[in-house]
Amino acid sequence: MHAAETALESHWGGGTAPFGASWQKTMMWIFIVTDALLFSSLLTGYGFLRHASAVPWPDRTEVFSISFIALMTFILITSSVFMAIAVTAAQKGDLKLALRNVIFTIIGGAAFLGCQVYEWTKLIHEGARLTGAVPGSELATMGVPPIFTQAFFVLTGFHGSHVLSGLVILTVTAIRTSMKKTPPQGIEMAGLYWHFVDLVWVFIFTLFYLL
Amino acid sequence: MSTDSAHPYRIYWVTWAILLVITVGMLAAEKFHMPKWFLVGFLLTFMAVKAVMIAGNFMHLRFERRNLAVMVGAGIVVTSLILYAYVSQETARIMHLTPR
Repeated sequence: MHAAETALESHWGGGTAPFGASWQKTMMWIFIVTDALLFSSLLTGYGFLRHASAVPWPDRTEVFSISFIALMTFILITSSVFMAIAVTAAQKGDLKLALRNVIFTIIGGAAFLGCQVYEWTKLIHEGARLTGAVPGSELATMGVPPIFTQAFFVLTGFHGSHVLSGLVILTVTAIRTSMKKTPPQGIEMAGLYWHFVDLVWVFIFTLFYLL
Repeated sequence: MSTDSAHPYRIYWVTWAILLVITVGMLAAEKFHMPKWFLVGFLLTFMAVKAVMIAGNFMHLRFERRNLAVMVGAGIVVTSLILYAYVSQETARIMHLTPR
Protein backbone atom coordinates (compact mmCIF):
# COMPACT_ATOMS: atom_id res chain seq x y z
CA MET A 1 0.00 0.00 0.00
CA HIS A 2 1.33 3.44 -0.94
CA ALA A 3 2.01 6.03 1.74
CA ALA A 4 -0.84 8.20 0.40
CA GLU A 5 -3.27 5.30 0.61
CA THR A 6 -2.13 4.51 4.14
CA ALA A 7 -2.67 8.13 5.14
CA LEU A 8 -6.12 8.08 3.52
CA GLU A 9 -6.97 4.85 5.30
CA SER A 10 -6.00 6.29 8.68
CA HIS A 11 -8.12 9.42 8.08
CA TRP A 12 -11.14 7.50 6.78
CA GLY A 13 -11.18 5.13 9.69
CA GLY A 14 -11.70 2.16 7.54
CA GLY A 15 -13.92 -0.21 5.68
CA THR A 16 -17.64 -0.32 6.33
CA ALA A 17 -17.47 2.17 9.20
CA PRO A 18 -16.13 5.46 7.81
CA PHE A 19 -14.65 7.79 10.43
CA GLY A 20 -14.88 4.89 12.86
CA ALA A 21 -18.60 5.61 13.22
CA SER A 22 -21.51 3.34 12.37
CA TRP A 23 -23.18 3.91 9.00
CA GLN A 24 -26.29 5.13 10.85
CA LYS A 25 -24.33 7.80 12.64
CA THR A 26 -22.45 8.86 9.49
CA MET A 27 -25.74 9.14 7.59
CA MET A 28 -27.31 11.11 10.44
CA TRP A 29 -24.39 13.56 10.37
CA ILE A 30 -24.70 13.95 6.59
CA PHE A 31 -28.42 14.63 7.06
CA ILE A 32 -27.63 17.18 9.79
CA VAL A 33 -25.17 18.99 7.47
CA THR A 34 -27.78 19.24 4.71
CA ASP A 35 -30.47 20.38 7.16
CA ALA A 36 -28.06 22.93 8.65
CA LEU A 37 -27.50 24.33 5.17
CA LEU A 38 -31.27 24.79 4.83
CA PHE A 39 -31.28 26.94 7.96
CA SER A 40 -28.08 28.66 6.86
CA SER A 41 -29.84 29.68 3.62
CA LEU A 42 -32.92 30.87 5.50
CA LEU A 43 -30.84 32.95 7.92
CA THR A 44 -28.71 34.40 5.10
CA GLY A 45 -31.90 35.29 3.22
CA TYR A 46 -33.25 36.93 6.37
CA GLY A 47 -30.03 38.95 6.75
CA PHE A 48 -30.21 40.03 3.13
CA LEU A 49 -33.85 41.14 3.40
CA ARG A 50 -33.21 42.92 6.70
CA HIS A 51 -30.26 44.91 5.39
CA ALA A 52 -31.87 45.67 2.05
CA SER A 53 -35.12 46.82 3.69
CA ALA A 54 -35.95 50.45 2.91
CA VAL A 55 -38.16 50.56 6.03
CA PRO A 56 -36.30 50.71 9.38
CA TRP A 57 -36.24 47.38 11.23
CA PRO A 58 -38.62 47.49 14.22
CA ASP A 59 -37.35 47.43 17.79
CA ARG A 60 -37.53 43.71 18.65
CA THR A 61 -38.14 44.48 22.36
CA GLU A 62 -41.38 46.27 21.41
CA VAL A 63 -42.60 43.35 19.30
CA PHE A 64 -41.49 40.40 21.44
CA SER A 65 -41.16 39.67 25.13
CA ILE A 66 -37.46 38.84 25.15
CA SER A 67 -37.66 37.34 28.65
CA PHE A 68 -40.29 34.91 27.33
CA ILE A 69 -38.00 33.95 24.45
CA ALA A 70 -35.18 33.49 27.00
CA LEU A 71 -37.46 31.12 28.93
CA MET A 72 -38.02 29.13 25.71
CA THR A 73 -34.23 28.96 25.24
CA PHE A 74 -33.81 27.74 28.83
CA ILE A 75 -36.43 25.00 28.27
CA LEU A 76 -34.77 23.79 25.04
CA ILE A 77 -31.24 23.75 26.49
CA THR A 78 -32.49 21.85 29.56
CA SER A 79 -34.27 19.29 27.36
CA SER A 80 -30.97 18.80 25.50
CA VAL A 81 -29.25 17.88 28.79
CA PHE A 82 -31.89 15.22 29.48
CA MET A 83 -31.36 13.89 25.96
CA ALA A 84 -27.58 13.74 26.39
CA ILE A 85 -28.04 11.83 29.68
CA ALA A 86 -30.48 9.43 27.95
CA VAL A 87 -27.92 8.67 25.22
CA THR A 88 -25.11 7.97 27.70
CA ALA A 89 -27.41 5.92 29.95
CA ALA A 90 -28.50 3.82 26.96
CA GLN A 91 -24.88 3.25 25.97
CA LYS A 92 -24.17 2.09 29.54
CA GLY A 93 -27.12 -0.32 29.35
CA ASP A 94 -29.29 1.56 31.86
CA LEU A 95 -32.47 1.57 29.77
CA LYS A 96 -34.64 2.66 32.71
CA LEU A 97 -32.67 5.88 33.18
CA ALA A 98 -32.52 6.37 29.41
CA LEU A 99 -36.31 6.05 29.08
CA ARG A 100 -36.92 8.42 31.99
CA ASN A 101 -34.70 11.06 30.40
CA VAL A 102 -36.23 10.62 26.94
CA ILE A 103 -39.60 11.30 28.59
CA PHE A 104 -38.18 14.43 30.31
CA THR A 105 -36.89 15.53 26.90
CA ILE A 106 -40.35 15.05 25.37
CA ILE A 107 -41.89 17.14 28.17
CA GLY A 108 -39.32 19.90 27.56
CA GLY A 109 -39.89 19.81 23.81
CA ALA A 110 -43.66 19.92 24.24
CA ALA A 111 -43.30 22.89 26.61
CA PHE A 112 -41.13 24.70 24.06
CA LEU A 113 -43.64 24.03 21.31
CA GLY A 114 -46.46 25.24 23.60
CA CYS A 115 -44.54 28.49 24.16
CA GLN A 116 -44.11 28.86 20.42
CA VAL A 117 -47.82 28.32 19.82
CA TYR A 118 -48.53 31.00 22.45
CA GLU A 119 -46.09 33.43 20.80
CA TRP A 120 -47.54 32.85 17.32
CA THR A 121 -51.10 33.28 18.64
CA LYS A 122 -50.16 36.51 20.41
CA LEU A 123 -48.51 37.97 17.31
CA ILE A 124 -51.35 36.90 15.01
CA HIS A 125 -53.79 38.65 17.40
CA GLU A 126 -51.62 41.75 17.12
CA GLY A 127 -51.99 41.64 13.34
CA ALA A 128 -49.01 39.61 12.12
CA ARG A 129 -49.57 37.63 8.93
CA LEU A 130 -47.21 35.86 6.53
CA THR A 131 -47.89 38.65 4.04
CA GLY A 132 -47.20 41.46 6.55
CA ALA A 133 -49.02 43.32 9.31
CA VAL A 134 -52.78 43.77 8.87
CA PRO A 135 -53.46 47.48 8.07
CA GLY A 136 -54.60 49.35 11.18
CA SER A 137 -53.40 46.60 13.54
CA GLU A 138 -51.11 47.12 16.52
CA LEU A 139 -48.07 45.91 14.57
CA ALA A 140 -48.92 48.09 11.55
CA THR A 141 -49.00 51.20 13.76
CA MET A 142 -45.53 50.22 15.03
CA GLY A 143 -44.31 50.31 11.42
CA VAL A 144 -43.50 46.59 11.20
CA PRO A 145 -42.55 45.84 7.55
CA PRO A 146 -43.87 42.73 5.75
CA ILE A 147 -40.32 41.34 5.64
CA PHE A 148 -40.27 41.21 9.46
CA THR A 149 -43.39 39.05 9.81
CA GLN A 150 -42.31 36.90 6.85
CA ALA A 151 -38.89 36.25 8.39
CA PHE A 152 -40.51 35.55 11.77
CA PHE A 153 -43.03 33.01 10.50
CA VAL A 154 -40.60 31.28 8.11
CA LEU A 155 -37.68 30.99 10.57
CA THR A 156 -39.66 30.02 13.65
CA GLY A 157 -42.06 27.93 11.55
CA PHE A 158 -39.27 25.83 10.04
CA HIS A 159 -37.66 25.45 13.45
CA GLY A 160 -40.98 24.62 15.11
CA SER A 161 -41.69 21.94 12.49
CA HIS A 162 -38.32 20.41 13.35
CA VAL A 163 -39.22 20.45 17.05
CA LEU A 164 -42.53 18.76 16.21
CA SER A 165 -40.87 16.04 14.12
CA GLY A 166 -38.28 15.63 16.90
CA LEU A 167 -41.11 15.04 19.36
CA VAL A 168 -42.61 12.38 17.09
CA ILE A 169 -39.21 10.66 16.77
CA LEU A 170 -38.68 10.83 20.56
CA THR A 171 -42.16 9.49 21.31
CA VAL A 172 -41.62 6.53 18.98
CA THR A 173 -38.17 6.01 20.57
CA ALA A 174 -39.68 6.12 24.08
CA ILE A 175 -42.39 3.60 23.20
CA ARG A 176 -39.88 1.27 21.53
CA THR A 177 -37.44 1.64 24.44
CA SER A 178 -40.18 0.71 26.94
CA MET A 179 -40.78 -2.40 24.81
CA LYS A 180 -36.99 -3.02 24.75
CA LYS A 181 -37.05 -2.83 20.96
CA THR A 182 -34.71 0.16 20.50
CA PRO A 183 -30.96 -0.48 20.52
CA PRO A 184 -28.82 2.18 22.28
CA GLN A 185 -27.92 3.46 18.82
CA GLY A 186 -31.57 4.33 18.15
CA ILE A 187 -31.60 6.64 21.17
CA GLU A 188 -28.27 8.12 20.04
CA MET A 189 -29.66 8.97 16.57
CA ALA A 190 -32.79 10.55 18.08
CA GLY A 191 -30.47 12.48 20.42
CA LEU A 192 -28.32 13.82 17.57
CA TYR A 193 -31.43 15.15 15.85
CA TRP A 194 -32.73 16.72 19.06
CA HIS A 195 -29.43 18.48 19.80
CA PHE A 196 -29.40 19.76 16.23
CA VAL A 197 -32.81 21.36 16.85
CA ASP A 198 -31.32 23.02 19.95
CA LEU A 199 -28.28 24.13 17.94
CA VAL A 200 -30.43 25.81 15.29
CA TRP A 201 -32.33 27.68 18.00
CA VAL A 202 -29.03 29.17 19.26
CA PHE A 203 -28.64 30.85 15.84
CA ILE A 204 -32.27 31.96 15.50
CA PHE A 205 -32.30 33.29 19.07
CA THR A 206 -29.17 35.40 18.49
CA LEU A 207 -29.70 36.54 14.91
CA PHE A 208 -33.43 37.21 15.05
CA TYR A 209 -34.26 38.01 18.67
CA LEU A 210 -31.05 39.57 20.01
CA LEU A 211 -29.53 41.48 17.11
CA MET B 1 -10.71 10.10 33.51
CA SER B 2 -11.74 8.29 36.70
CA THR B 3 -13.83 11.33 37.67
CA ASP B 4 -15.56 11.15 34.29
CA SER B 5 -16.49 7.51 34.72
CA ALA B 6 -17.65 8.11 38.31
CA HIS B 7 -19.83 11.05 37.21
CA PRO B 8 -20.60 10.35 33.55
CA TYR B 9 -23.38 12.92 33.39
CA ARG B 10 -21.53 15.80 35.06
CA ILE B 11 -20.18 17.14 31.74
CA TYR B 12 -23.77 17.69 30.53
CA TRP B 13 -24.79 19.70 33.59
CA VAL B 14 -21.58 21.73 33.48
CA THR B 15 -22.24 22.46 29.78
CA TRP B 16 -25.84 23.38 30.64
CA ALA B 17 -24.66 25.81 33.35
CA ILE B 18 -22.11 27.45 31.01
CA LEU B 19 -24.73 27.75 28.23
CA LEU B 20 -27.13 29.43 30.65
CA VAL B 21 -24.48 31.85 31.92
CA ILE B 22 -23.58 32.76 28.32
CA THR B 23 -27.27 33.23 27.42
CA VAL B 24 -27.84 35.51 30.42
CA GLY B 25 -24.67 37.43 29.48
CA MET B 26 -25.93 37.86 25.92
CA LEU B 27 -29.27 39.13 27.19
CA ALA B 28 -27.61 41.53 29.62
CA ALA B 29 -25.03 42.83 27.10
CA GLU B 30 -27.47 45.36 25.70
CA LYS B 31 -27.82 47.09 29.07
CA PHE B 32 -24.17 48.12 29.04
CA HIS B 33 -24.62 50.54 26.11
CA MET B 34 -21.54 49.34 24.28
CA PRO B 35 -20.83 50.41 20.68
CA LYS B 36 -23.01 48.64 18.13
CA TRP B 37 -20.06 46.94 16.36
CA PHE B 38 -18.79 45.59 19.69
CA LEU B 39 -22.23 44.32 20.73
CA VAL B 40 -22.69 42.54 17.39
CA GLY B 41 -19.20 40.99 17.65
CA PHE B 42 -19.86 39.96 21.25
CA LEU B 43 -23.20 38.30 20.42
CA LEU B 44 -21.85 36.52 17.31
CA THR B 45 -18.78 35.26 19.18
CA PHE B 46 -20.79 33.80 22.04
CA MET B 47 -23.35 32.38 19.61
CA ALA B 48 -20.45 30.46 18.02
CA VAL B 49 -19.17 29.38 21.45
CA LYS B 50 -22.61 28.01 22.35
CA ALA B 51 -22.86 26.17 19.02
CA VAL B 52 -19.42 24.58 19.49
CA MET B 53 -20.31 23.52 23.04
CA ILE B 54 -23.57 21.89 21.96
CA ALA B 55 -21.95 20.12 18.99
CA GLY B 56 -18.88 19.10 21.01
CA ASN B 57 -20.36 18.03 24.32
CA PHE B 58 -24.02 17.18 23.67
CA MET B 59 -23.57 15.74 20.18
CA HIS B 60 -20.24 14.14 21.21
CA LEU B 61 -18.41 15.57 18.20
CA ARG B 62 -15.41 16.14 20.49
CA PHE B 63 -15.14 12.40 21.01
CA GLU B 64 -15.53 11.40 17.38
CA ARG B 65 -12.72 11.10 14.86
CA ARG B 66 -11.47 14.58 14.03
CA ASN B 67 -12.17 14.09 10.32
CA LEU B 68 -15.88 13.66 11.02
CA ALA B 69 -15.88 16.95 12.92
CA VAL B 70 -13.97 18.61 10.06
CA MET B 71 -16.42 17.26 7.47
CA VAL B 72 -19.39 18.57 9.44
CA GLY B 73 -17.87 21.89 10.54
CA ALA B 74 -16.16 22.81 7.28
CA GLY B 75 -19.17 21.69 5.22
CA ILE B 76 -21.51 24.01 7.07
CA VAL B 77 -19.17 26.96 7.70
CA VAL B 78 -17.57 27.16 4.22
CA THR B 79 -20.86 26.78 2.34
CA SER B 80 -22.53 29.37 4.58
CA LEU B 81 -19.67 31.83 4.06
CA ILE B 82 -19.82 31.43 0.26
CA LEU B 83 -23.57 31.96 0.40
CA TYR B 84 -23.18 34.99 2.61
CA ALA B 85 -20.41 36.46 0.42
CA TYR B 86 -22.65 36.09 -2.63
CA VAL B 87 -25.67 37.63 -0.94
CA SER B 88 -23.82 40.47 0.80
CA GLN B 89 -22.66 41.89 -2.56
CA GLU B 90 -26.26 41.98 -3.75
CA THR B 91 -27.32 43.53 -0.42
CA ALA B 92 -24.74 46.29 -0.83
CA ARG B 93 -25.98 46.96 -4.38
CA ILE B 94 -29.62 47.17 -3.26
CA MET B 95 -28.74 49.33 -0.21
CA HIS B 96 -26.97 51.69 -2.62
CA LEU B 97 -30.01 51.85 -4.90
CA THR B 98 -32.69 52.15 -2.22
CA PRO B 99 -33.42 55.66 -0.98
CA ARG B 100 -33.24 55.81 2.83
